[in-house]
Amino acid sequence: MTRLAGSISMLAVMTVLGMGSALADTADKKIALSNNYAGNSWRQAMLRSWDKVTKPAVTAGIVAAADPFTTAENQVTEQAAQIQNLVLQGYNAIVLNAASPDALNGAVKEACDAGVIVVSFDGIVTEPCAWRIAVDFKQMGKDEVLYLKDKLPKGGNILEIRGLAGVFVDDAISKGIHEAVAENPQFKIVGSVHGDWDQAKAQAAVAGILPSLPNDIVGVVTQGGDGYGAAQAFKAAGRTTPIIIMGNRQDELAWWKEQKDANGYETMSASIAPGVSTLAFWVAQQILDGKDVPKDLTVPFLRVDQATLDKSLETTEKGGVANVEYSAEDAQKVVDAAKK
Amino acid sequence: MASAATPIISLNGVEKSFGAVRALRGVDLACHAGECIGLVGHNGAGKSTLMNLLAGVFPAEGRIEVDGKDIASRYSVATAQAHGIRCVFQELSLCPNLTVAENARIMHASLRGFGWRKRAGKLILDKLDEVFPGHGISASDIVGDLPIARRQMVEIARAFSVTTAPARLVILDEPTSSLDAHLASQLLAYVRSFVAKGGCVVLISHLLGEILAAGDRVVVMKDGKVVVERPAADFNRTSLVAAMGSVAHDEGANAATADTKRSETEPRVRVAADRQAGGPELIAHQGEIVGLAGLGGQGQSEMLIRIFDAAGKNARNVTVVGGVALVAGDRQTDGVFPLWSIAENITISSLRRMRRGPLIDGAATEAMAEDWKQRIGIRTPDMNNPILSLSGGNQQKALFARALGSDAQTVLMDDPMRGVDIGTKQEVYGMIRAEAEAGRTFLWYTTEMDELKHCDHVYVFRDHHIVAELSRSELTEEKVLHASFAEVA
Amino acid sequence: MNGSVLSARTLRNLLPALSLLVLLAAIFYLQPRAISYVGFNLMLNLAIPIAFATIAQMCVITVNDLDLSIGTYVGFVACIGATLLSGGIGALPFIKDLQASGALPATLPWIMNTPLAGVLVLLMGIGVYALLGALIHLRNLPSIVVTLGMSFVWLGLSVLVLPVPGGQAPGWIKSLMTLKTPFIPFPIIAAVVIAVAAHILIMKTSYGAVLRGAGGNPKAIERAGWSLLKVKMAMFALAGFFGMLAGLSLVGLTTSGDANIALRYTLLSIAGVILGGGEFVGGRISPIGAVIGAATLTLAGSFLSFMRIPPDWQIGAQGAILIIVLALRTLIDRAEKRR
Repeated sequence: MTRLAGSISMLAVMTVLGMGSALADTADKKIALSNNYAGNSWRQAMLRSWDKVTKPAVTAGIVAAADPFTTAENQVTEQAAQIQNLVLQGYNAIVLNAASPDALNGAVKEACDAGVIVVSFDGIVTEPCAWRIAVDFKQMGKDEVLYLKDKLPKGGNILEIRGLAGVFVDDAISKGIHEAVAENPQFKIVGSVHGDWDQAKAQAAVAGILPSLPNDIVGVVTQGGDGYGAAQAFKAAGRTTPIIIMGNRQDELAWWKEQKDANGYETMSASIAPGVSTLAFWVAQQILDGKDVPKDLTVPFLRVDQATLDKSLETTEKGGVANVEYSAEDAQKVVDAAKK
Repeated sequence: MASAATPIISLNGVEKSFGAVRALRGVDLACHAGECIGLVGHNGAGKSTLMNLLAGVFPAEGRIEVDGKDIASRYSVATAQAHGIRCVFQELSLCPNLTVAENARIMHASLRGFGWRKRAGKLILDKLDEVFPGHGISASDIVGDLPIARRQMVEIARAFSVTTAPARLVILDEPTSSLDAHLASQLLAYVRSFVAKGGCVVLISHLLGEILAAGDRVVVMKDGKVVVERPAADFNRTSLVAAMGSVAHDEGANAATADTKRSETEPRVRVAADRQAGGPELIAHQGEIVGLAGLGGQGQSEMLIRIFDAAGKNARNVTVVGGVALVAGDRQTDGVFPLWSIAENITISSLRRMRRGPLIDGAATEAMAEDWKQRIGIRTPDMNNPILSLSGGNQQKALFARALGSDAQTVLMDDPMRGVDIGTKQEVYGMIRAEAEAGRTFLWYTTEMDELKHCDHVYVFRDHHIVAELSRSELTEEKVLHASFAEVA
Repeated sequence: MNGSVLSARTLRNLLPALSLLVLLAAIFYLQPRAISYVGFNLMLNLAIPIAFATIAQMCVITVNDLDLSIGTYVGFVACIGATLLSGGIGALPFIKDLQASGALPATLPWIMNTPLAGVLVLLMGIGVYALLGALIHLRNLPSIVVTLGMSFVWLGLSVLVLPVPGGQAPGWIKSLMTLKTPFIPFPIIAAVVIAVAAHILIMKTSYGAVLRGAGGNPKAIERAGWSLLKVKMAMFALAGFFGMLAGLSLVGLTTSGDANIALRYTLLSIAGVILGGGEFVGGRISPIGAVIGAATLTLAGSFLSFMRIPPDWQIGAQGAILIIVLALRTLIDRAEKRR
């Protein structure tokens, strides 16, 4: 596929081979991926990453099996039945992207009781017996403001583009942004619109609010999937383009690169990588290996900076999201960080 | 008997209308304990309406006295049951998905509590043993699995069975229609013994022998009225038939119109008699109007459906030349598309001729609709109005227009004039005549004597058999009635 | 009745049980460890709510109607179970929000915390079902349209009660649903109890005969002096009652509620009734068959996933199982008729 991803996965295999003897304990263990939904590009990338990392791992004999299962209808009861069937099929660990944070708890508890390791990620579950690999979306919001603070120490007016109303991710990111702004009073949020993580909607929303905003907007904080639309809205309104935080989508990165080559435009981009499924895989493998792993882990963002822009853009498919697969070592680092 | 003076139930000038149709026009009837009343009449005379009324299924206007008290306004199924008035309906009133015992329970609300199933089973089996010795029915049989004769036996036994309320008056509507001669005689014997013990039975039957054998008194209905009421001993078969068709003689003169000679050419429709070997076959030539007569539900509709299904196919025993169109009698279920316009309803059968490419040619359909509006006189300002905006008679005209407007050579009519006013009828009769002269063939099932007079040739049906074949000159109401009612009980 | 006709009928009645046995044998062949105490617990515990929902659907089908809202109704009950029934009005998310923002005191009066509110709402749910039955009978409306409309009402109410998945099932339901019974797994005992109770209620009581008769020949029931209105209301209320049990048992298993938790139940319940030997019209139903049908459908899911059939194909494969069983039934019927 692409060079970066390719090299990372090669690296993963090599690491794995190097650690071969140490991992022999899990050679007869089977891991399953229980996934509730596969209907968008992010989930598709997630499943591809899973295949790319787990197939060599199985070939190398690290685990006996690592099979992905996706429910057809994104329904809680269907996924609960799926988990129960996976338990019966003798999987030792289930890596879970759950349809509901609470409603699968019954099934997860049964799996735990049957001695199966459950590692949830992205869509995590609240059942205490399961492991959680969570994304600190609040931190992501904070980081955006902190980046602006670095670039614009004097502060100024900023515009916030939010995601889909009512979804907890939207709440979390926005909360982080507002907290950071409260800590840095030189910034002021002068407007807030919902872009629904969609370029077209974001463009329309920003175009709608721009006339009512002061002329000196210095930054736009976003949630991903909306940066390119915001840039187009500013251009159409004939305003100077502020620093727009991007969200790792290919069109965003491409626009950024174009601006960078034309006038040295600078910004940052961050999002959760679909390859987080592979991180969960390695975490599950380490738990099976008998390692002591805390129940709550935090996944790092995939952040693209001015320096890594060219490389990231090259490895991202058109219409896709910048991705990265994780290695066993990455997993180790995440675990160690959580222990601290 | 002391109670003989007060009838169990008596009707005084009872009337009942369904919409525009007056089913009962002032009926007087009294049912006394210890008698069997034979009730006869042609189709549509109002017998079934009368018995539904006695059973309390629907209310009516007039005076209804039960045991001497007027309760017309409050008469209901529950009142009827409490007073021991029971009915055996012509279309079976059993639940096919339940067992024999459970069906007994439906009738008797008092069969409840622990062990009700056993008691219900014993109740119905005891009665079956009494009415039909050697019946071979078990209380746990599912009714739907039983042959029709046994279902009828269960229903009859159920009507005579007694729990809390007595069985004093039992109305039997065509009770022997599915029973063979042996079972029928068992039933009639039981009816006599029930009457002898002080019960009352109203027996409705088209088997006149049964009426004469079992009845003490015969009541003849015609056009929603009781026309004759006399002791059964005063009647014989011929006089009874004459009493039912009293009008026949008045119009008999008209019937002797010229008898057209039957064509010698190959007929358009030929249905071989497949059930009774050697019986007459039904034949219809080009330009003929052929009537299918007899009492209702004797196989005429089935015959038309058989012909319709056989058109254009190689069916056994049925030969049909050319296309066939059907005018259904039951407009609401078989005829109109209730949500469509008049024009759409008329043109649906002819759409093949009115295509432009894969689409319907709007101008052509409109022209056809307008043409038929003129020819058949559909009374509407706009043919694009919904069909339900028309009166019943005009809806029926639209259905005729649909059939006549198609290119079918043969038109089958399944009692199409039900509930149509006399004016419309006359218009349609004229149109049928004209179309027949132009070469179309009509097969016309009707239960009305007047309509048969428009036919060139009439076949009388009884029990799915053709029992008589009458040419136009031979046709009299008396002959049709004679053939319609069986020779023997 | 001769012996051969009887055997065709017996065969027909045994068909649901036979299909279940065939499925169990196939599962045993593929995954022997599934046929064990733990295995049955896992494979069948989600069959309990489906069995209840199937019985509910069966009540409606008995009187020749169809309930397209049972799935969302079960979801609604689950949401009520996870909120009002465990913590009273105070457990509702928006009340909690009000408390957090200080608009309401942190400790609520007794009346706000009593689970009686949940009981009341659930009883009202049954009442609504009875009214639906009355509406359908009195106005002669097609039940499909009425219940399809109701499905959106139930879904809307569930979202109002529980905007995001969550809540907490009452402890007693949770402990009941995860009961570890000796020797025989709890789901099997529960299924048998449901089947026998429904069988006695619908098939054995004297009023049950009237209820079924209303499906077979409503006119006859009316002529015998029974009120069809009462029959319809009784059957719909029963459907509401069993639907409520489905929702409560489901929330006991999942431990928390979600408005969309049981959307599939509508189709599963209809399929369960048909698979269990019931028919859409004519009041021909079998409560025992319906429970077996529900278990068969649940096990079919396990079987297909043991077969490694991709989930996208599983719905199709489930449909195929349904068609095979129905085709067998038609064949038996035809053989019966030919005699």
